[in-house]
Amino acid sequence: MNLTSYLDLYALLDKKSGSREERRAFGLEHENLKEKPLQQLLLWTKEYRGRLKRPRLSEKIGSYLYGITLTLGIIAFLLGLFSGIALLNYSGHEPVNVVYFMAMVILLPLLTMALALISMFRAGASRSFLVHLSPAYWMEKIIRLFPGSVKKTFDEVQINPAIVNWLIIKRSQMLALIFSAGLLLALLGMVVTKDIAFAWSTTLHIAPQEFHRMLETVALPWKGLFPSAVPSLSLIEQSQYFRLGEKLNPEMVKHASQLGEWWKFLACATLFYAIILRFCMWLLSVAGYRRILKRSFFNLDGSEKLLREMNEPVITTSSSKREPAFESEGKHYSREINVFNDAYDRTLGWAMSEDDLKVLNDAMGVISPMMEDVGGTNSLEEDRKIVSRTEGSVLLYVKAWEPPTMDFVDFLEDLAKTADTITVAPVGMREEAYLPGNRELAVWGRKLQNLGEKKVWLKI
Amino acid sequence: MVENMTGLHPKFAVVGHPNKGKSSIVSTLAFDDSVQISDTPGTTTKKRSFPLTVDGRVVYELFDTPGFQRARSVLSWLQQHEVTADKRPETVRAFIGEHRENPRYNDEIELLEPIMDGAGIIYVVDGSKPYGEEYEAEMEILRWTGQPSMALINLIDDTNYVEEWKRALGQYFKMVRLFNPMKATFPQHLSLLQSIAQLKEEWIGPVSESIELFKTYHEQMFEQTAQSITHLLYRSLSHVERLPLRTEEATEAEKILVFERYKAKLRTFEEVSQHRVEQVWHHENLEKAQQALLFDGMDLFSKESASLFGLSRKELLITGTTGGAVTGAGIDLLLGGATLFLGSAIGAVVGGTSAFFGFSELSDVKVLGQKLGKRYLETGPMKNVNFPYILLNRALFHAVKIAGRSHALRDKVMLEMGRDFTDRWMDDALRKSLDKCHKAFRSGNEVKPEVLKTYESLVKTVLKRLVQ
Repeated sequence: MNLTSYLDLYALLDKKSGSREERRAFGLEHENLKEKPLQQLLLWTKEYRGRLKRPRLSEKIGSYLYGITLTLGIIAFLLGLFSGIALLNYSGHEPVNVVYFMAMVILLPLLTMALALISMFRAGASRSFLVHLSPAYWMEKIIRLFPGSVKKTFDEVQINPAIVNWLIIKRSQMLALIFSAGLLLALLGMVVTKDIAFAWSTTLHIAPQEFHRMLETVALPWKGLFPSAVPSLSLIEQSQYFRLGEKLNPEMVKHASQLGEWWKFLACATLFYAIILRFCMWLLSVAGYRRILKRSFFNLDGSEKLLREMNEPVITTSSSKREPAFESEGKHYSREINVFNDAYDRTLGWAMSEDDLKVLNDAMGVISPMMEDVGGTNSLEEDRKIVSRTEGSVLLYVKAWEPPTMDFVDFLEDLAKTADTITVAPVGMREEAYLPGNRELAVWGRKLQNLGEKKVWLKI
Repeated sequence: MVENMTGLHPKFAVVGHPNKGKSSIVSTLAFDDSVQISDTPGTTTKKRSFPLTVDGRVVYELFDTPGFQRARSVLSWLQQHEVTADKRPETVRAFIGEHRENPRYNDEIELLEPIMDGAGIIYVVDGSKPYGEEYEAEMEILRWTGQPSMALINLIDDTNYVEEWKRALGQYFKMVRLFNPMKATFPQHLSLLQSIAQLKEEWIGPVSESIELFKTYHEQMFEQTAQSITHLLYRSLSHVERLPLRTEEATEAEKILVFERYKAKLRTFEEVSQHRVEQVWHHENLEKAQQALLFDGMDLFSKESASLFGLSRKELLITGTTGGAVTGAGIDLLLGGATLFLGSAIGAVVGGTSAFFGFSELSDVKVLGQKLGKRYLETGPMKNVNFPYILLNRALFHAVKIAGRSHALRDKVMLEMGRDFTDRWMDDALRKSLDKCHKAFRSGNEVKPEVLKTYESLVKTVLKRLVQ
């Protein structure tokens, strides 16, 4: 789990890589990881990484961050080294004041580490003031000054701001560690290559005894291990000096060889406060960064869906084949009548009883000497016989609500061969006073239009 | 994954007279709104399979078929080959074999084929129209197939001829059920499946499995909808829109532009979320016919939306969030002013009590920038305390409409809005819980997955309460 895999997952999800079926197939293939969602995401990212166009987003960002961090790391190291050399610069005229160095290796680290701790607590805020104090924050700003494509890459990426914050915190700790290593190296180098007379001097009224107590407290972490790295009271007394008169205390000169003993204390202080503690802070920031990175994998837009699609069965209910669009045939029927004739040679009813026909003829005011039911439970042979004896004008009642089937069309075609005119009259239900609906009439009209039989009229 | 059509799973063919709602029933049972449904007979010309699959394994298969067109001719052919009852299915097979290439019997072949391949028969009639003798030939043919069968009475219109249908159908079918695909609820859907399972003993197991799967599937749909709504709220409330500045100071036109872009983005988020919910509930085809169907063009930021979907003044006061909003804005300003890196915050600072009353103000518009970087105008995250409720209410309203909509419906969704919608699901305890999450969303800080999960769970509970 690292920034590369996070960015790769981000890019893959952004491109919506992998179909639902592919994702489920992956889930089934790695069913042992079902309860380990992070591993699932990481493995999926690894398998699908190849689908991303090179250079990948992670490669671009990783390379920029590496370049910037390396540059800043070298600067931090050199800064530490030269700061150390400057602080320990000893001309031989007056001793080196350990207070400056102590401030640099004890006070400054403790202060910045306290700030770092607070910023760690506030890292969830997208605009953390303390995070923005960090030099690493400026890395982002420096990147913004890069040519267009780099800036564009960063502008397009919308990752969790907390990751950016933790990245800054982590890299700040690393830079501080490198800076401290430079300081330590400067101290050791100066001690080896020069004879430095250390002393302490302060405007504050601090008695050597008080200073000793303070240093003993500072040196507590290594007091047991390296007792010689804790300045003794006599050393403190001997190495206190005042610049007034620009002359060194003869006592001090007398014990010049002992003044160099301070280096052990300074080295241990650097090692413990500026390096070991900073290293712990760095570890803490790494842990925080990993924690937020892990959380961010699940916060990525689409990752929850990906996990769900891997772990939940694909249930489908739809048809895999798309139905061709239906286009209704025929237009409005051209042979329509609005009123019935007074009389017809024969009245037929499609799937209606003769009783129904009598009622209908009465209701419509139609006289017809012959009434017969066709279709329905009649056999085809019975219908054929009726058709064969039909001639003249025919009124054919049909149920408006029942759509015309091909069975009806076949009958109508046969009927048209013997009858002179056929009036197809769709009728509504009794509750509707036998009045057909407009939609029903349109259905019948389209069917008859499709038939194209000139003898057939539609009563609307 | 390759579909595993072993042929051993239960199959059901939905058959009947033309235009009696076969496709509507299939559409509802299969959660598929792509099925062609119209009042023109003969819309379905080919049989179409709707398998219920789990990871590619078919649990059961449903067939939508064309209606009978020449039932009397088919029956006449069968009767001409009169055989003993045990041989009747063979005669039907012989009919299919002989007429497979005959276009006259295309529809009958299409509907009889799955039946003779072992599909159970679901015979559909319209119970709102009187029973007619023309159905008897169809029912007789189905009896000849020898396959287990049941009849479904579909009430397409308001008139009711159910009793006469029951009397007629009872003579031909083992089971007669009433089922309205337009109004059927999910439990009714499951109950129908349970009935279908009774047709054949071997089908009880697979159909029971499918019922469990449907329950899981339905649960997944609620979960995905809740996730989508949660995501919408989170994205909308936390969104920040930026506009790089060309000059040192922002012009009024630039301030308006960034604000309009901000609103446009929020509208897009809502549209995307609605589309996602429609996909989850398999109403993908809704959008084409019904652009902006639900809110009838009522803009997310309109006063009508605020009055209909937002909290009342009293409710806003009860939540006690106003103070929080003011404090939040104050802290923002404090940080903005204190940090040289963020630049100075200028422009209208909105908030305070005015945020309650309407929609005139949504978020601060600030000019931000630093010496090393470019200056830009920024608006967001959302400060208006009413907005989350408006957005949530609209999202819930849409989801409820979609989740409760039959897949057989092809008409427009009618909006029957009223303030009572909020009252149907909101109470003080829920409002407080939601408000905590809204605060986290609009804080601009990283939102922990637990908060999102909590919100999702609240939305899911509300959704289920509203839909079921």
